[in-house]
Amino acid sequence: MPTVSWSAAGIYVHVPFCSAICPYCDFAVLVGNARKRQDYVATLIREIQLRAESIDRLGAVDTIYFGGGTPSLLEREQLQVLFETLASTAHLTDDCRVFFEANPEDVTPARLANLHALGVDTLTLGVQALDDDALAFLGRRHRAQEARQAIRLARDAGFETVSFDLMYGLPGQDATAWRQTLDQAVALAPDHLSCYQLTIESRTPFDRAVRERAWHPADELTQAELFRLTHEHLRACGYLAYEVSNFARHPRHRSRHNQKYWHHVPYVGVGPAAHSFDGRERAWNERHLAHWQRHVQAGRIPIAGSESIDRRALALEMVMLGLRTTDGIDLARCQRRLGFDITADVGRRLAEWVADGLLIREAGRLRPTLDGLAVADTLASEWKLPEDEQCLTETDA
Amino acid sequence: MPPDSLVAPEIPDVEKIRNFCIIAHIDHGKSTLADRLIQQCGGVSDREFRDQLLDSMDIERERGITIKSNTITLPYKARDGETYQLNLIDTPGHVDFSHEVRRSLMSCEGALLLVDASQGVEAQTVANLYLALEFDLEIIPVINKIDLPAADIDRVREEIDADLGLDPFEAVLCSAKTGKGIEDVLEAIATRLPAPKGTSDAPTQALVFDAQYDVYRGAVMYLRIREGRLTKGDKVLLMHTGKRYEVEEVGHHGLQRVPRKSLEAGEVGYLIAGVKSVRDINIGDTITIADAPAEAPLPGYQEAKPVVFASLYPVSSDDYGDLIKALDKLVLNDAALTFEKDASAALGFGFRCGFLGLLHLEVVQERLEREYNLNLLLSAPTVRYRILLEDGEELMVDNPSLFPDPSTIKSTFEPYIKASVLIPERYIGAVMELCRDRRGENTNFSYLAVGRVELTSEMPLAEVLFDFYDRLKSITQGYGSFDYEMLDYRLNDLVKVDILVNGERVDALSQLVHSERARPRGLHYCEKLADTIPKQQFKIAIQGVIGGKIIARSTINAFRKDVTAKCYGGDITRKRKLLEKQKEGKKRMKMVGAVEIPQSAFIAVLKTDASK
Repeated sequence: MPTVSWSAAGIYVHVPFCSAICPYCDFAVLVGNARKRQDYVATLIREIQLRAESIDRLGAVDTIYFGGGTPSLLEREQLQVLFETLASTAHLTDDCRVFFEANPEDVTPARLANLHALGVDTLTLGVQALDDDALAFLGRRHRAQEARQAIRLARDAGFETVSFDLMYGLPGQDATAWRQTLDQAVALAPDHLSCYQLTIESRTPFDRAVRERAWHPADELTQAELFRLTHEHLRACGYLAYEVSNFARHPRHRSRHNQKYWHHVPYVGVGPAAHSFDGRERAWNERHLAHWQRHVQAGRIPIAGSESIDRRALALEMVMLGLRTTDGIDLARCQRRLGFDITADVGRRLAEWVADGLLIREAGRLRPTLDGLAVADTLASEWKLPEDEQCLTETDA
Repeated sequence: MPPDSLVAPEIPDVEKIRNFCIIAHIDHGKSTLADRLIQQCGGVSDREFRDQLLDSMDIERERGITIKSNTITLPYKARDGETYQLNLIDTPGHVDFSHEVRRSLMSCEGALLLVDASQGVEAQTVANLYLALEFDLEIIPVINKIDLPAADIDRVREEIDADLGLDPFEAVLCSAKTGKGIEDVLEAIATRLPAPKGTSDAPTQALVFDAQYDVYRGAVMYLRIREGRLTKGDKVLLMHTGKRYEVEEVGHHGLQRVPRKSLEAGEVGYLIAGVKSVRDINIGDTITIADAPAEAPLPGYQEAKPVVFASLYPVSSDDYGDLIKALDKLVLNDAALTFEKDASAALGFGFRCGFLGLLHLEVVQERLEREYNLNLLLSAPTVRYRILLEDGEELMVDNPSLFPDPSTIKSTFEPYIKASVLIPERYIGAVMELCRDRRGENTNFSYLAVGRVELTSEMPLAEVLFDFYDRLKSITQGYGSFDYEMLDYRLNDLVKVDILVNGERVDALSQLVHSERARPRGLHYCEKLADTIPKQQFKIAIQGVIGGKIIARSTINAFRKDVTAKCYGGDITRKRKLLEKQKEGKKRMKMVGAVEIPQSAFIAVLKTDASK
């Protein structure tokens, strides 16, 4: 039962600061200082004002997401003014959910109380690992004990949803070690878990280390084993996957905001490198803080680039994203939105995939099985879409 | 219009004609020297000037090689006050095109032997010199690139003396790049090369040494008049083919064609006679006047025979028609290229093509892909084997699919070459080893000069096709140069190795190889395919087999997980673009059974493995 509200939009706020840069991260982040953060907040408020029209056009907004970076580096007063600006600009619904990312080392009972008072519903902690060696390898600034403490404090603070992130597929990590971590995670009783397989992004310190053969990432066999273990073990513990890397104890704890990305629901992103999607066009902000700031201060919406999502691109994204979620592809919705049958040219392969146990066809949906989820990228790359001319002649009337 | 200075007097004085070519190792500056000579003689205005003036094909200019012969007539006012007609005949330098080189040399009285002042004498320099001497040409050694800091003129003089047996003090020094010494080169041509023999009143004999296709005029023959003359309106006879034509136009080559009333004994020029394509002409043929023919044709007629064979398949079967059209067009100007229909169970319809060598093959493939925008798959190149059957019948087989049932074969023979390698002394051991590894026989070496060695080896041509040159370059750190000539056919033990992908034979990957080679080659193919065929949802077995016997195998495991961990806001665009790229790549794949084989796999198997 999808809990996504299809009608309401989302707002994403990118906070680009971190106290140090993790060696696996390729996000738009930087180590700032108090003055830079203050400038950033002022600029961000200006950007929200510059975008008032497009935020207005979003209509009802029922999610706000503070991601980064490390939003927990912002001060209470800074957050306060941001919330007020957003509340006065966007049409926030009564049940609007606010998502907030925090690092364990920044968590104190007082800060959590502030966030809760400001209206944060979902607190996501960047835990990443539950033993100190792994944390040191990942270049994190907290210890396992701090992470556990932060999770407990977050639960006590009364957030509707407490979630944390873990990474797996670290060099040398075997199934036994990872199962142990999962057990420890479950014992901390979060409402939601994100388990990301370590990905070596290009131009990161990890990328260099791997190329210099300082260490080897997990091989494909191990990756597949850990992937399967994650899904099966968490399921047994009552956490159901709803996407490749996301698990919830109850459907109401699914990330309402992230699901908007996967279902082409409009959103506006503010802050450096943030992306926006209005239903037709995806646009992205200047990635560098200074460039982003210069644009905004000159009174320009700080867009670095955009692309319009034509029906063919939309179709490909619907397949690619749909196959990453356990709800799968809603065929009727695709037909409505695209005006053509997304499966028209993939018939024989589809039957094979169903026969091979990669996909299940039921109730107007194509859902990936766990085996299908594991190879969703290949399925999407092999999915033959109807040729352009065909799509257009059938629907342009 | 050509510059006035290019317009020569209508009837030239044969004593003032000099026909010459430039022979050199690749990269020794042949095209630059030619450019400079043309410039110096006023054959081109500064506005018209561009590098490699005589190379007209894109591919020639890009790779810095000459494929087709070309000529230009230059008037040169010498220091003695006389004006000479210098005919530069530009010849290809590569061994693949040696038949064209021979014919060009036959049209000259002299040659500039160009040697790089820093590189010194190389294998092609020696090979080309031998060729030139075969045709009794007067040789002027020219030491080029004397402006380079690394130039070592004394050493090069020694090499000219020791390696080539020429008088080193006759060498002219120049820098084609800066223009220094160019005047001396021209003067040497005028004073040291002999004038052609022959008289305009004798029965006409003209050697066709090349032909180019012109869209408007058909085949344009390049010729050297040995005896007699050719005039517009003459009825001519091509003595080997027996075909008759009427001369529409004769003339000299400037940068464009410059028509003239006639071509006289000793001259080099062109002839247009309504011949449709270069295929209708046999290069090396002799032209005479139909009503008053010469007694005999000139020597030098030799059919250009392809020695390397490979099949070309369009990646998309829709392109088959375009491939035919493209090949038909290519052969208009490339008489040495042969093709006939071929069909592969795995790759569909294509063409079996014959080439003069690997460079020729590469050039043809590249031109088809670039000029005709075709996506092609190429089968493993092979040589032409001679097969003697038990029943006494003899076959020539250049296509693995036509290899007869082994039980009917009495014996097999393969073509041998004489390879000549010039190397610094320190590499003797490594190169001897390489030759032995390539079944080289009678491998010998001799010192050309202190520290420099010429190594010769008789080896199967097939062994050279497969990455020999790459290996040589790599083990000699680029110092080795290589040339070869065909020798003969020798008895060997030939087998056919088939490649099976999930039990299905990929006929385009079948190869004929020496039995000793079968296992390593089979393994190489299996490993390369395992590296280049992407993982699929099932396990893929790749096997090399001889008949029913498996000699090599590798496996591609099924993929188990490939989904990326994260996909939020901005990742979506990035990820979709990646998918689009993958989908585009799949268009260049061929299905064999249920397995998709990318074009790169067919190419990868032909490449050398750098780690070995």
